[in-house]
Amino acid sequence: MNLTRSKLGFGINRSRAGIIVVVALLAILFIIGIAVSDRFGTSRNLLNIYEQSTGLALVSLGQTLAVLTGGIDLSVGSVISLVSMLTSGLISGDQSMVIPVVIGVLALGLAIGAVNGGVIILTGVHPLIVTLGTGAIIQGIALLYGLGPIGKVPKGFDYFAYGRLPGGISFGATFTMLLFLLTAFLLARTKAGRYIYATGDDPHAATLMGLPTTRIIMLVYMLTGFCSALTGVYLVSRFGVGQPYTGANYTLASITPVVVGGTMLAGGRGGVIGTLLGVYLVSLLNNLLNFLGVSTHLQLVAQGLVIIAAVSVYVEKRRIA
Amino acid sequence: MLSLSGVSKSFPGVRALSEVSLDVRSGEIHALVGENGAGKSTLTRTIAGVHQPDEGTIRFDGRDIRWTSPGDAKKAGIHVIYQEFVLFPHLSVAENIYIGHERKTRFCLIDHKKAAADARELLARFGLDLDPKAMVSDLSVADQQMVEIAKALVHDVKLLILDEPTAVISGPEVDVLFKRLRALRDAGVAIIYISHRLEEIFALCDRVSVLKDGRYIGTRPVAEVDRNELISMMVGRSLVELFPPRRTLAADRPTVLEVSDVSVPGRVRNASLVLRAGEITGLAGMVGAGRSELAFAIFGALKKSGGSVVLDGKDISKTTPAEAIAAGIGLVTEDRKGQGLAMLLDIAANITASTLPTVTRYGLIDRNQENSIAEAEIANYRVACRGPSTGVLQMSGGNQQKVILARWARTSSRVLILDEPTRGVDVGAKTEIYRIIHELADSGIAVLMISSELPEIVGLSDRVYVMREGEIVGALETDEISEQAVIALATHQLAA
Amino acid sequence: MAVAKAEDGLNRSAARKSFGMGEIVKRYGIYLFLVLAILVTTAISPAFVSGSNITNMLMQLAPLAVVVIGQTFVILVRGLDLSVASVMATAAVIATSFSGQDGAALTVLFASIAMGAATGLANGLLVTKRNVSPFLATLATMIVLQGFRFAATQGAPSGNVPPIFRLLGSAKFYGVPYNLMVMLVMAAIFAMLLHKAAFGRRVFITGGNPVTARLVGISADRVIIACYMICGGLAALAGLLLSGFVGVVDNFVGRGFELDSIVAAVMGGVALSGGRGTIPGALAGAAILVVLSNAVVMIGMPVQLQIIVKGVVIIVAASLYVRTAR
Repeated sequence: MNLTRSKLGFGINRSRAGIIVVVALLAILFIIGIAVSDRFGTSRNLLNIYEQSTGLALVSLGQTLAVLTGGIDLSVGSVISLVSMLTSGLISGDQSMVIPVVIGVLALGLAIGAVNGGVIILTGVHPLIVTLGTGAIIQGIALLYGLGPIGKVPKGFDYFAYGRLPGGISFGATFTMLLFLLTAFLLARTKAGRYIYATGDDPHAATLMGLPTTRIIMLVYMLTGFCSALTGVYLVSRFGVGQPYTGANYTLASITPVVVGGTMLAGGRGGVIGTLLGVYLVSLLNNLLNFLGVSTHLQLVAQGLVIIAAVSVYVEKRRIA
Repeated sequence: MLSLSGVSKSFPGVRALSEVSLDVRSGEIHALVGENGAGKSTLTRTIAGVHQPDEGTIRFDGRDIRWTSPGDAKKAGIHVIYQEFVLFPHLSVAENIYIGHERKTRFCLIDHKKAAADARELLARFGLDLDPKAMVSDLSVADQQMVEIAKALVHDVKLLILDEPTAVISGPEVDVLFKRLRALRDAGVAIIYISHRLEEIFALCDRVSVLKDGRYIGTRPVAEVDRNELISMMVGRSLVELFPPRRTLAADRPTVLEVSDVSVPGRVRNASLVLRAGEITGLAGMVGAGRSELAFAIFGALKKSGGSVVLDGKDISKTTPAEAIAAGIGLVTEDRKGQGLAMLLDIAANITASTLPTVTRYGLIDRNQENSIAEAEIANYRVACRGPSTGVLQMSGGNQQKVILARWARTSSRVLILDEPTRGVDVGAKTEIYRIIHELADSGIAVLMISSELPEIVGLSDRVYVMREGEIVGALETDEISEQAVIALATHQLAA
Repeated sequence: MAVAKAEDGLNRSAARKSFGMGEIVKRYGIYLFLVLAILVTTAISPAFVSGSNITNMLMQLAPLAVVVIGQTFVILVRGLDLSVASVMATAAVIATSFSGQDGAALTVLFASIAMGAATGLANGLLVTKRNVSPFLATLATMIVLQGFRFAATQGAPSGNVPPIFRLLGSAKFYGVPYNLMVMLVMAAIFAMLLHKAAFGRRVFITGGNPVTARLVGISADRVIIACYMICGGLAALAGLLLSGFVGVVDNFVGRGFELDSIVAAVMGGVALSGGRGTIPGALAGAAILVVLSNAVVMIGMPVQLQIIVKGVVIIVAASLYVRTAR
């Protein structure tokens, strides 16, 4: 049986400890920010940070679900790229195509997720390798569709990314936050949510207890695909056009907020709220580093250090040896 | 209630069950015994819906059934409590109990409050003292088993199968378990009780069935069969004596190991004991008493918060396992698969694992030497295998244990600590292991044997220490050793 | 867990059948796959096996193979090293940071390998002492190295690689590429270290179960750190080879090698769960990737399809080694 205990283990698997760490880091960075520059704490700046967190947040939401089951989805970047290409390419500036195309690509996201889940289940290969493979395939398909930016979108399309509600609050970011809250609620209060945690916690036990693990895995990867597709649409809204490599950086980037927010890569522990806070942390950090005048290069260093700091806190105390 | 007829099940390369016919009535506790590999686990899983039989029929509750998944069997009222628990470590007690059939509110959402309340009520009804909100990985092993039992009690269980339930509990906890099982039996539940501990079967069960090599040998009412007959049915020959004859020891054995006031935070408090050369010293106590922790502390695998350990006059309190091994101490852990064996490697590699330098020349491993060492040990310990390159993953519990003993016998020149040396080992192999332990002690090693099996403690030990709740509460010399004396100390009962 | 006990009985007898079809596929599948890939490509485009093409492929294989050797050690102890590409690029930058003459060659070599080993040490410490998951620890070091590298070069590395590395990286000795020779030497040394030496045995024991390793007196932490350091050092060497091959240094030398090296190892039978795998197998996995990327060009496959084929091959090859229900 399990002989280790989390040093900060209290509360049930939703890893409240993780959230506390992120909140603490957020607070620290915020204080540093205010100290560094008076423009930092202005509502304008904060609202910008909020707005810019949307893309990363959307993809990280899906990634959280995959990681909760003990897996991972490295195809998210490719899916984002493909969807962005298809969105701007198929709409091609035609207002009447907007709704059908958006629905279509979201459905595509679900379908790709289903394929991911299916391959994982059928071959038994580790999700890391499977999604690496499917990611390559999907990237190839994106390139088949077009080797460069393609198509365009009509004027109102940028509302998703840039639209503001009264008070200057970003529409896109708020929509995303609500999506997170909904997901958190469903994870905590539905059977499917419970089974996601159970499957990640101990897949063998899940099977022996008669849980529908196959359906859970399929569901989770479909949702990840959906979130990736949504991110692709968002990026089109942001840049006005889809590009074949637009999602490439998001793959590894989507993992940081998940882990920093307390979701364990081993699965079974964590939650989406932590991820959302992790996203804000990353956005805040980037913003702060800009204010500090840190060159983009050293920003990378800082990011890496923050990851280490946030994660090192959960030292599992070894019992034996 | 349950009736199997001609059930067979094969896996690639092996026929696990051959035309097994068996019936279990409701309102009885039916024991299922057999050596390791006899097919008990496969049979259990077939009944539980994990496997489907290749041939034969299964009738349950009056109907012919064919499960396609464990879920079907569960719905029909069959519940299995496996030896390795099927619990989710990071979910709470209540969540674990109700997994698969959550308490719901009107909108099909999970009702946490109701689950906790129901769980509390269920646990209270059966006298289980657990916090429904506690995370399972924080519980002791015995408490985890309670959760497993509670899981069974939630449904209308018609057939309850327990696989080696007392492997991880002892003493009064066993009595409580038996009481509950009897209560369930009286309420009409059919119970299949799988155990290697024959004394439990005689104490608890109504009938006993024997499996051997995948075949059904027979069923007898417990009252009409005796131990030897049972063993001969299981093993195919009669085993006269389980334990080797008692040895007489010279009075003045030199002290080899002196443990003084050792503490491990939260588990062991001021434990002191003395081991003498050539003696088998038993360490008894209930599960959770801290015996394994004390052993790990002596070995250097767990940090001590106080006290000292002196080996042959030299203080080794601050030792690491590597240093302990070099000093001549060996530790056979209680968990073979999770701690003791390198499961992915072969017999030879496992035997030399703690003595790599002896088979290393210029940094490279001398395979020939390693293999000949392994062959010698295989012959010496009568390990059933195809040779030194056999993977240990595929071996039976008894043979695996022999490999581990072979490993430690090579280096434990002074002290050998054994933690539950015959757990999960069948009767035939047990006898051999007891013989081995005697031989090791005869060669001058000081043996410390931790065991929860009283017959083992009484049958093998020259002296016995008893632990309770982290402390050593008594020491028994040779003529004082008896099961009653040990239990009295282990559980703080005042009268024998 | 619970399943393992039940399979106790059946596995014992399953062992008697160890040379059934399944076992042959598992042990030699990757080599068969490699041969198959070569045959198919040759059938479509005979120029594939021309002397110059083979030499070309071997030269591409060398740096990747060196990295794969290191990655194998790390995966065997239940880890992953995502920082290898960053280490390679940093090594390449170091190569151009000195005089650019042969006199600096030894300095470059020592400095690069030291950097690689230091990165490995950092990774190892994070994983063992702070219990950070390898994915994250090496992701973090990758990012940190990248940052330092960019800052030091201001985004545009300049300077020359000492000629000796250009020689080792891209020249041939009577038709046999130098970098291939370097790789073969490394492969021989480390394969012996892993499969014949006591250290290698400790690696397998630790990777199989670190707790067991500690209980038999092996310092699992030291073994794990050593593996990461080996990986870092080899990655640095590979970076030098690659910079010699490419000639021009940029901040992204070795991009993609981190995932490629993991994929190659897994395809070659190195289990992500640790404790299982061989260096020859991993090298075969690397060979497949090289053959593949070459084959698709030879066949005239457009780049989009190349990527797709790569993805399919990864999944198929990895499936060969899947073990059902532990």
